[in-house]
Amino acid sequence: MIESQGLTKIFKDKKRGEIRAVDGVSFKAQPGQIYGLLGANGAGKTTTLRMLATILKPSSGTAKVAGFDVVDDPEKVRSNVGFLSTATALYGRLTAKEFVEYFGRLHGMDEAALAKRIGVIFDRLDMNEFRDRRCDKLSTGMKQKVSIARTLVHDPPVMIFDEPTIGLDVMTARVIVQFIRECRAQGKTVIFSTHVMSEVEKLCDTIGIIHNGKVLAEGTLPQLRERYAEQDMEEIFVKVVGE
Amino acid sequence: MAARKFGVVYRKELMDTLRDRRTIIGSIIVPLLMFPLIFLIILFFGVFVLPKAMKESPSVMLKGEEFAPALARALRAEAKLQVVPYAADYVQQINDKKLRGVVEFPTGFEENLKNKPAETQTVKIFYYEGEVRSLSVVRQAEKTVKAYGEGIVTQRLAAARLAAADVSVFALEKLNVASAEKVTGNVIGFILPYFIIILCLTGAMYPAMDMTAGEKERGTMETILVSPASRTELVLGKFLLVLSTSVMTTALSVISLAIAVLIGGQALAKVGKGIVVAVSVKSAAVVFLMVLPLAATFSAALLAISLIARNYREAQTYLAPLMFLVVIPGMASMVPGIELNNRLALVPILNVSLLAKEIFAGQYHWDLIGLIFLSTCVYAAAALYAAVRQFNREEVLFRT
Repeated sequence: MIESQGLTKIFKDKKRGEIRAVDGVSFKAQPGQIYGLLGANGAGKTTTLRMLATILKPSSGTAKVAGFDVVDDPEKVRSNVGFLSTATALYGRLTAKEFVEYFGRLHGMDEAALAKRIGVIFDRLDMNEFRDRRCDKLSTGMKQKVSIARTLVHDPPVMIFDEPTIGLDVMTARVIVQFIRECRAQGKTVIFSTHVMSEVEKLCDTIGIIHNGKVLAEGTLPQLRERYAEQDMEEIFVKVVGE
Repeated sequence: MAARKFGVVYRKELMDTLRDRRTIIGSIIVPLLMFPLIFLIILFFGVFVLPKAMKESPSVMLKGEEFAPALARALRAEAKLQVVPYAADYVQQINDKKLRGVVEFPTGFEENLKNKPAETQTVKIFYYEGEVRSLSVVRQAEKTVKAYGEGIVTQRLAAARLAAADVSVFALEKLNVASAEKVTGNVIGFILPYFIIILCLTGAMYPAMDMTAGEKERGTMETILVSPASRTELVLGKFLLVLSTSVMTTALSVISLAIAVLIGGQALAKVGKGIVVAVSVKSAAVVFLMVLPLAATFSAALLAISLIARNYREAQTYLAPLMFLVVIPGMASMVPGIELNNRLALVPILNVSLLAKEIFAGQYHWDLIGLIFLSTCVYAAAALYAAVRQFNREEVLFRT
């Protein structure tokens, strides 16, 4: 469960003055559902998700993630969140297994439980072949799997994906999309951001269209289609943003 | 829980660092090899090149030999001088380093010594200042000429029915009271504190940049920030690793220096040039204790500064001026005449430099030691606080 209320982030820029990157964003994401944040580059998607993951502090407003407040209880929030973006790289000098272990330990898992959990994840993601290879020697697809394993090691109830498929080839992107579906099937609350219309159509239960830091429209795909009298997501997006 | 997490961070950073070739070379291999190499070079010159130059009897010409047959005989008999036939262009030859020196006797030198005792005879030595072999000509020629002169003085005293004791008014004796430790303290203690301070800084530099700007460059900063470790735990883990590396680099260098000096010292002793190195275990231990908070200050400050950088290269640019800020007060130990007092004891880096010099010289002013230790701890705490603050600043972490 994610519940944001008036989430706002103001950046101070020396040249441009105050920038409201995120401006009063409120929404709800339910367990077992995928909430898609759709927006162009610079719309405020990444900043919103970073506030949810407590990497950034909101300037005003707040959000509850898995029952914990992002401002008051950031460490508890992070313990309950799996965060994945194309910016979250791997430690190249650690092996795949060491990397996942490191994050398991940071989550306070004991060694026995950690070993068991890693066994399960590595089997499921078919990672055993390269478990002892250094991360900087892995292919892009393998690296993605290691990142996924990292987000799953503590079995979090909430998953946050920040443009997870950007810059990936088709096959690797499919692995991620498949993984997002699995998370939903397991009853996790999933929020994910993208600027790819087709991904939204394929994956999301609820869609929020974000522009200039504000959520301009929200609803299920059928609701949005009805409201804007368009079938195609791209047409809907243009109508919403153009308003 | 917090204690466990920064331990986890520390262990991971340790493993990561030990696999980084750049850090291994910069923090372990270079400091281990640097001193033995420097020492070997010095040794090579000290044992092989210089003695050879000294042993080779330098060539010397005698001008006006006919006026001093007896003294010329004595000079020719001197094994450490090689007398060559006289040539008029001797000044040019000395300049060309073909000839090392010339001894010139005045006209009628020995005759005049006998017949005109009231007249002072001047023997001239031509040489090339600063040139080892030429200086050795001066030394040898002077010795022989003086010995000859003394012989004449003895003859004259005998003629006047006097003994040597009658003209020697008093004797002079110089006695050294400084302990062996103090004597070396003056030599080693001049340079060693400076070296230690620079090593502390350079040892911390690589890992500090790697774990801040390096993480940003490789894109792992965001990954680690979404982990449940708090920013403070992250800083502490990283800080301890940087501190460990700094201390290790310094310790390895000092140990390698000690080994080089010991082995080199034995080699020198074999050729009769033993050097005394007496840095006591006590002084080494006290200096180590004093350097610990200084290394902590450097580690935290380097983390705080290099975190601002977006990448490794930028971090190097930021840290370069810091090097000067450390080098200049660090050199205090090498500047003669600066004495430690209560006010200087509060100046960071400079205080440790001066104190280490005192300690290596066997002086322990415990009040100053305490004061400097405490003040350095305060600086370390301030630097660590600054590092923690930096890690909580979004505009620093996500600078683009």
